[in-house]
Amino acid sequence: MIGEAAIRAGCRFYAGYPITPQNELTEYMARSMDNIEDGTFVQAESEIAAINMVIGASMAGARAMTSSSSPGISLKQEGISFLAAQELPAVIVNTMRGGPGLGNIAPSQGDYFQATRGGGHGDYRTIVLAPDSGQELADLTRTAFEYADKYRSPVLMLADGMMGQMMEPVVFPEPIDVSLLPHKPWTLGGAEGRPSRIILSLLLNPAKQEELNWKLERKYETITREIPKAEKYMTDDAHLAVIAYGTAARIAKGAVKRVREMGLKVGLFRPITLWPYPKNDLRDLSRHIRDFLVFEMNTGQMVEDVKLSLEGKSNVHFYGRPGGTISTPDEIAKMINTLYHRQNLEEE
Amino acid sequence: MKKGPFDMGQIDIAWCPGCGNFGILTALKGALTELGVRPEKLVIASGIGQAAKTPHYVRTNVFNGLHGRAVPAATAIKAANPGLTVIAEGGDGDMYGEGGNHFIHAIRRNPDITVIVHNNMVYALTKGQASPTSSIGFKTPVQVRGVTEEPFNAIAVSVALNASFVARAFAGDHDQTKDIIKKAVSHRGFALVEILQPCVSFNKVNTYQWFKENTAYHEASYDPSDRFAAFKRATEAEKMLLGIFYVNPDKPCFEDTLPPYYKETTPLFKRRIDGEKLFGLIDSRRRV
Repeated sequence: MIGEAAIRAGCRFYAGYPITPQNELTEYMARSMDNIEDGTFVQAESEIAAINMVIGASMAGARAMTSSSSPGISLKQEGISFLAAQELPAVIVNTMRGGPGLGNIAPSQGDYFQATRGGGHGDYRTIVLAPDSGQELADLTRTAFEYADKYRSPVLMLADGMMGQMMEPVVFPEPIDVSLLPHKPWTLGGAEGRPSRIILSLLLNPAKQEELNWKLERKYETITREIPKAEKYMTDDAHLAVIAYGTAARIAKGAVKRVREMGLKVGLFRPITLWPYPKNDLRDLSRHIRDFLVFEMNTGQMVEDVKLSLEGKSNVHFYGRPGGTISTPDEIAKMINTLYHRQNLEEE
Repeated sequence: MKKGPFDMGQIDIAWCPGCGNFGILTALKGALTELGVRPEKLVIASGIGQAAKTPHYVRTNVFNGLHGRAVPAATAIKAANPGLTVIAEGGDGDMYGEGGNHFIHAIRRNPDITVIVHNNMVYALTKGQASPTSSIGFKTPVQVRGVTEEPFNAIAVSVALNASFVARAFAGDHDQTKDIIKKAVSHRGFALVEILQPCVSFNKVNTYQWFKENTAYHEASYDPSDRFAAFKRATEAEKMLLGIFYVNPDKPCFEDTLPPYYKETTPLFKRRIDGEKLFGLIDSRRRV
């Protein structure tokens, strides 16, 4: 789904390295780039080579993408830091698996901190999109390429092993005409008739480095204003809201449906952008909801963003399952039920 | 069958029936047993891949670490405790792809370790992508028009870098493989044993039959001290040659160049700190 959507979004360069559970995407890109005949596919010798190939393709003007799974994404972090510093657009897909270390190949959300806090070194941010369905994988892939070009920034698609193996009917957006994409006046495309350009991130003069850091920061402020996005599900009359993203949100949605049948007024808040975090939407919700249950497939990472957003004004509870274990909607429904009664929410 | 010192007993093995790894595992355990290596004095380090699972099935000390990084880990294990026999084991993708840079620089550094590379010319753990050693034209779901890159010739690279021991074996030949591993482990310095290995699930080209037809052993009179002859054989031979290509016993081992081992070989963790010497050093740098 990401593969087809990427091709339709004008992705013409893909580099990757084998790792489970995302080999299907690499295979799809290999076939598709071959079919469309004006795309380039490379199986690199390592993840580090792949991300550096993406850097090269991006500075030469192509819409470029790489993908991997958790340990492979760690290897790409140096490159992602350079993409951010050099203001190069690129899309990076992380199909998260259990960790740390080599971990396993089961679905996990253990890379939230890595994704939203930068991951690599230095003072930068990465836009992070978290799809929860086949349709959203397709839609957000298009969005990812648009944001990457618009903000000249790496964009991370954060999926997990469950989504990597999922099959669902999807309506793909119409393919774009690559030749109609806006001109990029900064690419290294041959200096005939104009002065040479240089793309670098080595700024030995602290004043120059500070200038770049503030320039990036102004860009991040713009992004924070313009793109935060979240889905609210049955939250209008809710006394309690579950907060979850990606696969965890799908499980939570099932749980919310179940407890609604039992008469509990519970909703779901699902962040779609993880950075920038949809703080304002969450704050709006906290005007009438006092208790929030954060559910993640890890030991508690996004819960920090929830607490930062709510600034201590709401009760934030947490339930998590790490290591690639998958909770059932029943398990979450039980958690909701217990919490709901413990907090006396039925009396409100 | 009598249980050997490296046998695990009843265990689940993740390899497919007929996998070349089984032959390599048996030859490795046989070689270590015949050399009299004690399991408690051996460490096998590996990375990621089907081959990198091998040490899981050997009763000894095992470090299973990062993809491509077994060789640097093995180098440091040997440097921290030269009394151990250290083997790094992995496949062609692990050692030549992801770990290619480490492979090259370990040869330059020359630690006294044995590097065993199972070469099945395919990524098997991730289900069948071309590897650095896949032949030109090899088709996979990813290499849809077939491989276009020149295969990585590890034997030629090692000889070119003046590696201290360079050999190639075939997983189907138990006795010869065992013998080569014994010589490699006994050798002082970096020893490469590349073992050609059929992958019955994801490589339908380089089969047992193919290897039988496309390999041949060096003749008994071949002299492995001649580097140029070795390079010629690694690059120009009609068939992939098997046996010991090149031995250079005169290179100093990495550990021997490290100051802690000038006088004694006691492992670092067993040494007492000479407080007087240490504080003397600190005091000598004080300015006030």
